[in-house]
Amino acid sequence: MDAAAPRPKENQGEPLPRVDARLKVTGQAHYPADLPTANLAYGALATSRIAKGRVTKLRLDDARAVPGLLDIVTYGDMDKVDKPKFGNSGATSIGPLHDRTIFHDGQIIALAVAETFEAAEEAAQLIRAEYEEEKPTASFDSPGTKTVAAAGKSPMFKEDVKAGDFDAAFAAAAVKIDQRYSTPTQHHNPIELFSTTAYWQGDQLVVHEPSQNVTGWKVELARQLKMDPANVRIVSPFIGGAFGSKGPMTPRTAIVAVAAKRLGRPVRCVTSRMQAFGTQTYRAETRHRIRIGAGKDGRITAFAHEGWEVTSRPDLYVVGGTSATGRMYGYGSVLTHVSLVQADRNTPGYMRSPPETPYVYALENAMDEMAVALGMDPVEFRRINEPKTEPIGKKPFSSRSLIQCYDQAAAAFGWAKRDPKVGAMRDGDWLVGMGCATAIYPSAVAPCAARVRLTSDGEVRVQCGSHEIGTGIRTVAGQMASERLGVAIDKISVEMGDSGLPPAPVSGGSISTASVCSAVLKACDAIRSKLFAAATAEGSPLAGSHNEEFDLADGKIVAKSGASAKVEDVMKIMQVGAIEEYAEFAPKGATPEALKKLYAGTPEFHGGEQDEDSVKYAFGAEFVEVRINRYTREIRVPRIVGAFAAGRIMNTRTARSQLMGGMIWGIGQALHEATEVDRRYARYVNRDLQDYLVPVNADIKDLQVILVPEVDHAVNPAGVKGLGELGNVGTAAAVASAVYHATGKRIRDLPIRIEQLLA
Amino acid sequence: MSQPSALSTNGLSRRKFMAGTVSAAAAAPLLASRAEATAPAAAQPKLRQPVITSLRINKQAYELSLDARTSLLDALRDHIGLTGTKKGCDHGQCGACTVLVDGKRVLSCLSFAVMNDGKDVTTIEGLASTDGKLHPMQQAFIDHDAFQCGYCTPGQIMSGIGCVNEGHAESENDIREYMSGNICRCAAYPNIVAAILQARGETKGA
Ligand code: FES
Ligand code: FES
Repeated sequence: MDAAAPRPKENQGEPLPRVDARLKVTGQAHYPADLPTANLAYGALATSRIAKGRVTKLRLDDARAVPGLLDIVTYGDMDKVDKPKFGNSGATSIGPLHDRTIFHDGQIIALAVAETFEAAEEAAQLIRAEYEEEKPTASFDSPGTKTVAAAGKSPMFKEDVKAGDFDAAFAAAAVKIDQRYSTPTQHHNPIELFSTTAYWQGDQLVVHEPSQNVTGWKVELARQLKMDPANVRIVSPFIGGAFGSKGPMTPRTAIVAVAAKRLGRPVRCVTSRMQAFGTQTYRAETRHRIRIGAGKDGRITAFAHEGWEVTSRPDLYVVGGTSATGRMYGYGSVLTHVSLVQADRNTPGYMRSPPETPYVYALENAMDEMAVALGMDPVEFRRINEPKTEPIGKKPFSSRSLIQCYDQAAAAFGWAKRDPKVGAMRDGDWLVGMGCATAIYPSAVAPCAARVRLTSDGEVRVQCGSHEIGTGIRTVAGQMASERLGVAIDKISVEMGDSGLPPAPVSGGSISTASVCSAVLKACDAIRSKLFAAATAEGSPLAGSHNEEFDLADGKIVAKSGASAKVEDVMKIMQVGAIEEYAEFAPKGATPEALKKLYAGTPEFHGGEQDEDSVKYAFGAEFVEVRINRYTREIRVPRIVGAFAAGRIMNTRTARSQLMGGMIWGIGQALHEATEVDRRYARYVNRDLQDYLVPVNADIKDLQVILVPEVDHAVNPAGVKGLGELGNVGTAAAVASAVYHATGKRIRDLPIRIEQLLA
Repeated sequence: MSQPSALSTNGLSRRKFMAGTVSAAAAAPLLASRAEATAPAAAQPKLRQPVITSLRINKQAYELSLDARTSLLDALRDHIGLTGTKKGCDHGQCGACTVLVDGKRVLSCLSFAVMNDGKDVTTIEGLASTDGKLHPMQQAFIDHDAFQCGYCTPGQIMSGIGCVNEGHAESENDIREYMSGNICRCAAYPNIVAAILQARGETKGA
């Protein structure tokens, strides 16, 4: 078998090719801006050139003179519409056209609509704004920031976790470090551009927009437009990469909907790559102070993690990764504190492993420093501090295979051949370094609904309002139905990405596979029960075998004894052509309102550190080799190995691809990605794919993913822990540790660039 | 890291640049709408004035009346309805819009449609044979799971074919280097290299 399709081990599903693969390689997968729409008008955004102040005057004459211009939506035109809300499905509370206040650079000031894309762009660029400008606050250390405690500011971040007496333990520790780390601003930059297409059919509104949250958006858009959610439909059949950027709805959606209403024709607005930096969410810059104290034996006795995160003026967006870092190892005592630092910036939002990427980077870099301070092998140091229970609430882990991950990855990587001495490994002009780090991501699950239909001729349709953002969710949902209904995958169609389908939670927090598969499983099992009951009824082919166990295979109901009946024949007796079941799945511990909240677009998350019985995390270990040119200090990553354990793996092919993509994201975080902020103007500078660096093909060489078998029945009925956000956690710390090993330079501020190694 | 674009480095987009050029020379009357675009193409196309352009796309002839500023990419997507070719940046920096023009890979966002008058364009929709058999490069992308979201994929596949036909797929390192103008944010890179390795034999001269 080739690398893309790992042979399944225990509790791992077949590496079936994606069910939508053919559509994707033939150009027939329709992303929202591809959906054919008749009589389309084109919209283009005009955005603010200042970061703080007011728009005093808009001059629209030049724009209006552009031939083909149809309309300009700007101040005053959104007055009958409610302002956006921040939180749940909303990216920001800033209603850019609701008032003339400018909160950040690149804020929408108008939408020009024209007969052609070219005319709309021309008109948008001719819109001239006059401003009353104030000096903006760009980031940390800029005059005018406001710092507030993060705890309690988000339902996802209730408290600063702590345990024991950190101060005393740290003071008494034989070996200790006290260091600061930082991560830069980053933008998701999915390759699909952000877009909204809106049209009205009477009082029904249809929106085509790439979305990770069609149900939530339907409800939020209806609220803004003061409509019945039943009259709003969000369509998003394929999503061209998301990484969190398409989770919360931005203010553009309602503006385009209003434009379509005013014109009485469909309007499409594709945001330019440059404008996306200011009109969408992003990962804000973070800072960290970490203190670790340990005995000479390497046992940690004291751990403190303080974090600072930038957010906007109006919205308190919290990342708060200390709930994971505070539970990572068996620290004796824990002290954490997270602060939000408000500046004149657009509101940040979640980006692939939002808390873990920056916080675990800082922790794992510190762990490596601590191993050096102790004179210990970094793998051994982690082994020594492997906990029995998590240190905060003393709860057990539902499963924790971190050491297995370390052992398997270390063996595949050849860690034993590493000479631990700094700078000891060379290959010609290249300094060779090797490092490792832990990956962790909470395993959560949310309520989800699904409808499954099995016809008498053995065709299956699965319907679920989840989202195919590239994870392979269509494929694994189909696989779940295939397994439970005994039908080959090519007889199964899976419909997703439409708010008219049974609601699913936002495709974020790595909850989709667990949530969707649990709902599909429940619907399939209801079909099975009906079939088994009918097949064993008086006069039916399997009458009298009530007490047997049954299964479905190849269109037959098969009893353990070997007796069987065709599904087709049983349906004949039932006098039905198909059996269809609608299932609502609610996780263990769900509140009585959990399902109602699913329909309202505000699903509850369960799992992670929130459950009473245990904490639930997926783990991994990543090993990296770097090569640094001794003259130019060019940094390459020729080799990376990651081993991950995430409960049941539905499909080893799609799982490996996601983890691989995550590890490459991690390399990007280590060496490439950073949005530069011009501190004078609080403006992003490198707003395109030429200057915002992401890994390209030539940056990646030998990459190996190991799927470590793990069985966990406690996480959810499907036994699945998410892994879409696991792969990019820890990677940057592993790179930093390898860079240290090669050069003796400890880089604490990401990204690691040549200039830091020249100094 | 990605393919350079002269027009974007000075902060001017192609459209801004064109708009600037024209307002300086705005003497000629402008046609109000595309409906009036019946005049034959002038030798020197004027901004906004629709130009009749003949394109041969996937072996089909098209005659289009286009705003002279229309990119080949927008002509394909918005005027012909071939949306398989994707827009990821509109600035020549991502490769999502790659098509073959007279057999060579071209970034369709960096080429005005009128510049391709009379040329032979192949898009992702033109690769599979009429009986539905996939091009070896398409099949190889499926076999090696060389995508996740699939958005960069049409560009990767067209670029992969171009890369092979240029003779730049002789080694894995060559493939990595010559495919680096096609960004995959899902980061399917190792699988893309494996797919091109598998398909290169059958692709040559296909
Ligand atoms: S759309 Fe990105 S290169 Fe053309
Ligand atoms: S498959 Fe998503 S960008 Fe390449």
